[in-house]
Amino acid sequence: MIQQYDIKAMVAKIRALRRNAEALKEISGGIQTVDRNADRILAGVKMLEINVNDVAGLLKAAK
Amino acid sequence: MQKGEYWNPILETLPREKLQQLQFKKFKEIFTWAYDKSRFYRKLYKDAGLEPGDIKKFEDIRKVPKIEKAMLRSVQGRGKEPFPYGEILCVPIEEVTDYRQTSGTTGQPVYQADTAQDWELSTEAMCYALYAQGYRNTDRIFLPFGYNIFIAFWAYHYAGEKLGCEVIPGGVLDTSARILKMKELKATAMGATPTYVLGMADTARKMGINPPTDLYIRRITVAGEPGGNIPATRKRMEEAWGAKVYDQVGSTEIGHWGWDCIEQSGLHVNEAFYLVEIEDVDTGEPITEPGRRGKMVVTNLNRMAQPCIRFDVKDIIQWNSQPCDCGRTFRLLKGGIMGRSDDITKVKGVLLSPTAIEEVVRSIPELGDEYYVTVTKKGDIDDISIKVEIRPECGKDEATIRSILTDQLRLKTNLGYNIECCPFGSLPRSQAKTRRFQDMRPH
Repeated sequence: MIQQYDIKAMVAKIRALRRNAEALKEISGGIQTVDRNADRILAGVKMLEINVNDVAGLLKAAK
Repeated sequence: MQKGEYWNPILETLPREKLQQLQFKKFKEIFTWAYDKSRFYRKLYKDAGLEPGDIKKFEDIRKVPKIEKAMLRSVQGRGKEPFPYGEILCVPIEEVTDYRQTSGTTGQPVYQADTAQDWELSTEAMCYALYAQGYRNTDRIFLPFGYNIFIAFWAYHYAGEKLGCEVIPGGVLDTSARILKMKELKATAMGATPTYVLGMADTARKMGINPPTDLYIRRITVAGEPGGNIPATRKRMEEAWGAKVYDQVGSTEIGHWGWDCIEQSGLHVNEAFYLVEIEDVDTGEPITEPGRRGKMVVTNLNRMAQPCIRFDVKDIIQWNSQPCDCGRTFRLLKGGIMGRSDDITKVKGVLLSPTAIEEVVRSIPELGDEYYVTVTKKGDIDDISIKVEIRPECGKDEATIRSILTDQLRLKTNLGYNIECCPFGSLPRSQAKTRRFQDMRPH
């Protein structure tokens, strides 16, 4: 079942999401709505990491 | 819903050896995190002579000291900083966004801190449960429960939203108003305790509403009590509502670690999120084989603010020998939570599990849903009494029902009981967890 998913590509996109959300916080200038919404996004990104990235390294068949 | 549909097919069908590798990797990470960030855990592990580098293979996990509720309570509360969570906390208090607490029925409550990420994790764990139980974005969920300071049904609400369901909070309404609202809005699913699910059906019938034909509920998730995996109780609920009933288990400290899928073959442990170990109650030796009961020790592999590592829950469980037909590789627990090691007690020299009594009472159709059991001591001899209600329309006389109950209790629990038949509707009903077993013997 796992073989049918492009896990490697998903991992790369999820990493990009984290980089972008963290980069957004760095340039927010402390605007609360930017920081807090970025934090919410990062909590969601963490769920993607738990669900996909954290297991990717264990999958030999991952593309 | 069709077979082969998963919330996350990557983790839910992961080969067992990969699943164990994932658990080991994650255990090392959470152990290291707690060691580095929590004074409570660091002291516990240092006192045991352990540091992160000592966890080299899966079997080393058993070297890690277990925690119990009393240990958590002892470092929390008044005068314990950061208040009220104490030295367990692994993040600055400013990062805590959600507070919950245990009910405190066994003493001071445990205060549970979550960050936004941790709360998202609770929601995510519950999404696995609801998706496996067939919830989809076409469902309209009604929650007949006033969520509050306790964990119950909060994650059900948030997970329902995350799945795309429409969630109706029915908290402040009374039971009759909830039933009318469910009817008005054609709710298709609900979550409640088994006691309340049965009580609501009784109330609906008194209102002239027959849930299977007059309401639209087709799936029910129960939590908070063991009834969802007690066959007689599940049968009663399913017949009363004309709906499928699924169990879900978890706790404030742990999260939502187990659930029935649509196959109803037993509780799946979400082994990608939790490490569940079973230990012999007396010797503490690990039990890995199916069919042998022991007590559960559980680790939440991802919770960061207030980690839960090797928590001795005292619930009695056993692995199922068969995999589930749903195709998930997450193991099943046969019979769900079979009781608590605290509750399984000797009466007149016989080991008694309160869930065995429930199985008997709920399998006799002439009896109402409620019952209460009390164990006392008369002189040196244990005395066990049970209060039940007889359904007024049942068509059998009290003596006959008493005789059936006496025989079945004797057969299933090897004990004789003083039976008191109470007027129907006279025993207390509750929306929250109900404790029906009271051991009043001096210890």
